[in-house]
Amino acid sequence: MASYIVRRLLGLIPTLFVITVIVFLLMHAMPGNAFMALVYNPKVKDPAALIARLEAQNGLNQPLYIQYFDWLRNVFQGNLGMSQSLNEPVSQAIGQALPNTLLLAVTAEVIILLVSIPIGVLQANRANKGFDITTSFIAVLFYSIPGFVFALILLLFFSFKWNILPSTGTVTPGVSYSGSLGDHIIHLVLPAMALALPSLAYYTRLTRGNTLQVIVADFVRTAKAKGLRTPRILFRHVLRNAIIPLVTQFGFDIGGLFGGAIILEEIFTWPGMGELSINATLSHDYPLILGSTLVFAVTVLIGNLIADILLAVSDPRIRYD
Amino acid sequence: MSTPLLEVRNLKTHFISRTSRVRAVDGVDFSVERGKVLGIVGESGSGKSMTSLSIMRLVPGPQGQIVDGEILLDGKNLLKLTEREMTNIRGNQIGMIFQEPMTALNPVLKIGEQIGEVLTRHRGMNKAEAKKHAVELLKNVGFPRAEQIVNEYPHQLSGGMRQRAMIAMAMACQPTLLIADEPTTALDVTIQAQVLDLMRELKNRTGTAIILITHDLGVIAEMADDMVVMYGGQVVESGSADSVFEEPLHPYTRALLESIPVIDEERERLTAIPGTVPSAANFPEGCRFADRCSLVESSCREKMPELRELRKGHSVRCTLAV
Repeated sequence: MASYIVRRLLGLIPTLFVITVIVFLLMHAMPGNAFMALVYNPKVKDPAALIARLEAQNGLNQPLYIQYFDWLRNVFQGNLGMSQSLNEPVSQAIGQALPNTLLLAVTAEVIILLVSIPIGVLQANRANKGFDITTSFIAVLFYSIPGFVFALILLLFFSFKWNILPSTGTVTPGVSYSGSLGDHIIHLVLPAMALALPSLAYYTRLTRGNTLQVIVADFVRTAKAKGLRTPRILFRHVLRNAIIPLVTQFGFDIGGLFGGAIILEEIFTWPGMGELSINATLSHDYPLILGSTLVFAVTVLIGNLIADILLAVSDPRIRYD
Repeated sequence: MSTPLLEVRNLKTHFISRTSRVRAVDGVDFSVERGKVLGIVGESGSGKSMTSLSIMRLVPGPQGQIVDGEILLDGKNLLKLTEREMTNIRGNQIGMIFQEPMTALNPVLKIGEQIGEVLTRHRGMNKAEAKKHAVELLKNVGFPRAEQIVNEYPHQLSGGMRQRAMIAMAMACQPTLLIADEPTTALDVTIQAQVLDLMRELKNRTGTAIILITHDLGVIAEMADDMVVMYGGQVVESGSADSVFEEPLHPYTRALLESIPVIDEERERLTAIPGTVPSAANFPEGCRFADRCSLVESSCREKMPELRELRKGHSVRCTLAV
């Protein structure tokens, strides 16, 4: 298993190389660069000269392939470069944003799994009865609504109409309880809900379908013939099998939850990776674009690896050697 | 004579949908004596498996329903129990093993857990005690490295080993009755003999009565004290295995016996019974075997023959038998 993980991690390197090349070319296809805005700054006397100097400083007057390999060499030395728009190291900007996004994604994932799996199993156990029909209807409805629409609906009611939950940021500025655990939690509720609800609906459907397939298996009949009670049969014998495709899907979705958070972070002005990468793109901040892309790509690839590992952990018939 | 361990009276299990009623089990009577082996034999579709699932009250619902009859275990009617009371009987007083040991075991749970949970459920053991006891049970069914097997998964065992593990599981609480639904059908012939030997040995050691369901008359001859021949959801002949093999009274039983190859007899071809079992959705009016019977008379098709006791303890559902 350990050697398998090492081999898989080494296998990530060529993939990451290709991804960064593509992103590098695409961002240079955008017209202009981070310093062009200085043209419109009335305090700058000779913008053309300043821009030329800054471009030379940042190596932007070099051919593209040299720029790319310069960046690559720095990455291998652990240096992601200086952000041109924030005037701080890219690693520092990511270091501040990444924990916020991780917190949001992990909270959403916990909500998704804790709610969707029990509901899905209970739906399957009462398939086509009242509970199943009503909750399935709600699940399909929620699944059809994009996360950002949920975000707006949640904001409308919880923040603006009822004013019980904050609408922006991670803490309440300028109050005595600012930054306390409770303060963090109430700021987390709405974005995490908006991120979780569509996936929650999807996972409920997935759990229900998998459970329905397993619930007719021979070993379920054996479990009944042993006199086991329904909760044990459902949540040990059935769920332990039905969860296998689910954890795989879950691993793949880790990257998706990061991506899905981009728009939601904008809506909730949540200072995470989404906000960071959007601002980087809008200001043509090349090092920051590459750095945040690298983080997203690694997340997706690690998510796939986690999916494979979870599969081996949850299904004893699968072994990687 | 003491009361039998299990008495099945006029059991009817039907599958009812809006458009049809499939009479899978249609008025079955038999009894199982304490510590004895009752063999139930019949073709596919004769209702033998549904009879065993009915005893466990595990007929697949909602279509499958036990519509009539009594199932008396030690004089207590199982059909009158609540589902909760029934779960205390299953795995505890009645153990059951199935045909296909690969699919009948949960692929993702360790053998030790699957055996142990019967003990935690019915004997109130904690997990550690149950696992320890599971090792003993595995040794009893002939596992050499039982300590390792409890930590293994079903796919790591061979077919015969899986069926042994199933038997250990079904026998964990020393049930008074073991129902074995085609326990050897999916196994190699040599393994079949081992599994049958094991069941016989366990029966002799623990006094557990066995209902052995099979379509293999050889298995019945080897194991059974009494036997029941089923056809079309009914019992067509029942009696001690000796008397039925010695003097089969029903034309169907005779035909079954004739279709067994005998090694020292020089027969060019095996006799097969012509035709197929009638569909349980629309049985014929009279005797259900009439269409395939070589002795059929017009009266056979008019009225369903009663099960008559022609010899002492040996009954047959045929008007022509004398």
